[in-house]
Amino acid sequence: MIQYRDVTVSYGKGAPDAVRNVSFTAERGAVTALVGPNGSGKSTLVRAMLRRVPLASGEICVDGARLGSMPRVEFARTVSVVTQREDTTFVRTVREYIELGRFPHRGHRGDDSAAVIHAAERAAVTTLLDRATDAISGGEWQRVRVARALAQGGEAILLDEPTAFLDVAHEMQMFEMLAALATSGIAVVLVSHQLNLVARFASSIVLLSRGSVVAAGAPEAMMRGDLLESVYGWPLVVTRDPAIGAPALVPLRRAH
Amino acid sequence: MPVLFFATPQRNVAPARLGRRVLVAFCACALALYGATACGGAERPSARTAVANVAAADEAASGLLDDFGQPIDLRRTPTRVISLNPTTTEIIYALGAQSRLIGRSHWDKWPAAAISKPDLGDGIRPNVEQLIAARPDLVILYATDSNRDAAARLAHADISTLSLRIDSVHDFDRATRMLGRVLGDSATGAIVADSVNRSLARVRVATQPLPHPTTVWRLADRPPMVVGGGSFMSELLEDAGARNLYAHLSQPSPVVAIEDVVIRNPDVVIIGGDMGASSTSLGAWNSVPAVTKGSVVSVSSDLVARPSVQMGAAAAALARALHPGLVLR
Amino acid sequence: MIVHRSWHWIAAGLVLSLLAIVGVLFGTVRLRPGDVASAFTGSAAASTREIVLTLRAPRVLLAALVGAALGASGATLQATLRNVLAEPYLLGVSGGAAVGAVAGLVLRIPVALTPVAAFVGASVAVMLALGIAHGTRSASHADVRTMLMAGVVVGAFANAVIMIVLANVPLDTIRGALWWMMGSVGDASWRNVSWLAVYVAIGLIYLYWYGPEIDVLTLGEESAAALGVDVERTTRRIFLASALLAAASVAAAGLVGFVGLIVPHIVRSAGVSRLRPLLLGTAIVGAALVIGADLISRVALRPTELPLGAITAVLGVPFFLLQLRRAQ
Repeated sequence: MIQYRDVTVSYGKGAPDAVRNVSFTAERGAVTALVGPNGSGKSTLVRAMLRRVPLASGEICVDGARLGSMPRVEFARTVSVVTQREDTTFVRTVREYIELGRFPHRGHRGDDSAAVIHAAERAAVTTLLDRATDAISGGEWQRVRVARALAQGGEAILLDEPTAFLDVAHEMQMFEMLAALATSGIAVVLVSHQLNLVARFASSIVLLSRGSVVAAGAPEAMMRGDLLESVYGWPLVVTRDPAIGAPALVPLRRAH
Repeated sequence: MPVLFFATPQRNVAPARLGRRVLVAFCACALALYGATACGGAERPSARTAVANVAAADEAASGLLDDFGQPIDLRRTPTRVISLNPTTTEIIYALGAQSRLIGRSHWDKWPAAAISKPDLGDGIRPNVEQLIAARPDLVILYATDSNRDAAARLAHADISTLSLRIDSVHDFDRATRMLGRVLGDSATGAIVADSVNRSLARVRVATQPLPHPTTVWRLADRPPMVVGGGSFMSELLEDAGARNLYAHLSQPSPVVAIEDVVIRNPDVVIIGGDMGASSTSLGAWNSVPAVTKGSVVSVSSDLVARPSVQMGAAAAALARALHPGLVLR
Repeated sequence: MIVHRSWHWIAAGLVLSLLAIVGVLFGTVRLRPGDVASAFTGSAAASTREIVLTLRAPRVLLAALVGAALGASGATLQATLRNVLAEPYLLGVSGGAAVGAVAGLVLRIPVALTPVAAFVGASVAVMLALGIAHGTRSASHADVRTMLMAGVVVGAFANAVIMIVLANVPLDTIRGALWWMMGSVGDASWRNVSWLAVYVAIGLIYLYWYGPEIDVLTLGEESAAALGVDVERTTRRIFLASALLAAASVAAAGLVGFVGLIVPHIVRSAGVSRLRPLLLGTAIVGAALVIGADLISRVALRPTELPLGAITAVLGVPFFLLQLRRAQ
């Protein structure tokens, strides 16, 4: 559904490429994760999708259509992007906030309020619809943001660090919700630092280092201590969690 | 810009206390502003003491005081006089003492010969250094608070000053006689003063039996300003046989609302001088019925810009414009 | 809890109508209500008709238009800049307009052309501010903070120019310049009410059209881009429209501050968050505020008229403090 082909982004003449020849595919019904150290280019790939940075070479395609030739509004109807941070200066009701997701459908016949309720149900925020956006918890807020993304009506969602400030319960809730969305047919692309959870929920992992794809594949293949240690530059060990049998990353202490 | 005041909200202060603090600060600023404007006209004690000391040292014997309360020294006749006021410059020429005039203010353009005298800048807040450099022995200033500082500084430099307030006809009379005395020719001073008084009286007598139209004399448009009772122009109007509807206001040039002028409905609107009498430049004054009817009299600003030896001619010009057909000897 | 009650709208509309009526009934000169009414039916004395129809009625209308323009412009700018302290006089509008007006006064152009000079000055200042922001931008999008700083810089420069220009002019020019800068709707006539009405209508319709976009822009540039908004182009257009609304009102009435800052706060605190109803609400409340302020300026110290800009500021500060307390 979403395809990055040899994407190269450079932030200026003489500066090293932010990402170089990055290629990967995200399919419907699957959770694809982009992982890597800080500065490896993950956020740049999200910005490239938003056309906030120009591509030096390569292309991004959505269902075969080149991104550059797609009108912005049509893109917004197909792919939803949940950015890392959002401005919260203005307070509104959760319902009005989710309704903003219907902006790409402005001018088209369609029942916006039904779409809003449907999106709220899928993100499990129906009880929050009449609350103010500054009167909900961090975990609820992230789910509300996903609801807004769902209201856009597309079949792909790109999320940049959606669990960055969430506690373990909310984090699991978010991952389970994303997995459920994938099962319902949506292509979920996830940028995350949470390797352990990514390994349990993603069907495909793309490992980035210094702007290039170092490896890509199923979690089983990617969760290797030597590979990850060389990318992250920190002594790591991958064990198998005895309780659930999933691979678990354990960083070792360097100082004694 | 109001935005900058609130540019850094303190997030760690409880909002109720923040609101109260800002309110207190605002009230303090408002009070300070009020205090500054209210006390703006007050004299500065140190300058006064300095001037008084200098005067005491000179042992002035005249007992006369100028309009800043400074004693007037009549012992020596000044020979290098700077006049920073159109009225006093003109009076000096009328007294025949122009040979002693070594400088004038930028706005002193009467009589025409005065333009040949050196232009020493503004008459209000003058450039004191420039004045001192001209080495005068008398500087004549307009007695407004803005000039107190200049008077004090000149006194420090051992230069005599004579500060005169000249707003009304009586002020003009007094100033003429005073200048005559200071310049050592009281007789001519009296002659000039009497001549002006007589010329005004002639117009007054001629217009007395005539019907007096009600008038408003427009000085400015934004904001609307008129000639009030405190100005010599109001006296000229009365002498010219008209009734100034704003003579009851004691300021020389009060601000009024156009509505007020409309409801008072003057017979004639007088326009002073350099703005043309065309109604397109009258702005909101076009609502005044007299203006719509064309009952507008325009008078040359050369005649009425300041109290002057020409006041008789000014009153006569006004009288002729207000009373068509009037013949004045 | 945000609640959006319809009685707020009715109340606002009523207050506006009431103030408009009071604005015509009261003034420097005391007129009987019967006389005022008969002025509209044509059966009053000539002077009463003149005062009511030529002096007061256009004045109230001009005040309403200025208030509506500033309120709507303020609401839009606060949303677009994502900053609740933004107001229409940012982007150098007030400074540029003042330079234009003062230059016109000093050059002794016909007084009727002062609004034109102010408008030209404001437009130049806005272009300058946008140009500075454009020239210093990085990574190909206009940073909102750069825009704000460019506006403040242009404004400061304009103030300096004004002071230099005024340093060496006769007193009556200074008085005229100061009077203009303190704001007044005293020059209202049916002619300038008409052209201001045209400008305000065009500006409001333009902003109303972009309402949904502006709502999305409040989420931030990246989220707005994600929802399909052409952030740079839309932001620039909205800035220009808001700035021109502000410039038109400055051209008509001089500098009337605080309206664009506080009116959006008042309307938002009543629960209005979407821009389209916010535009309507701020237009109504802004109009009411300026009509009220003009009434006070005419009546408080008659026959002298107090400057309008000072009254709006005096009204604005306590309002603002009240809002601060109520918001917590």
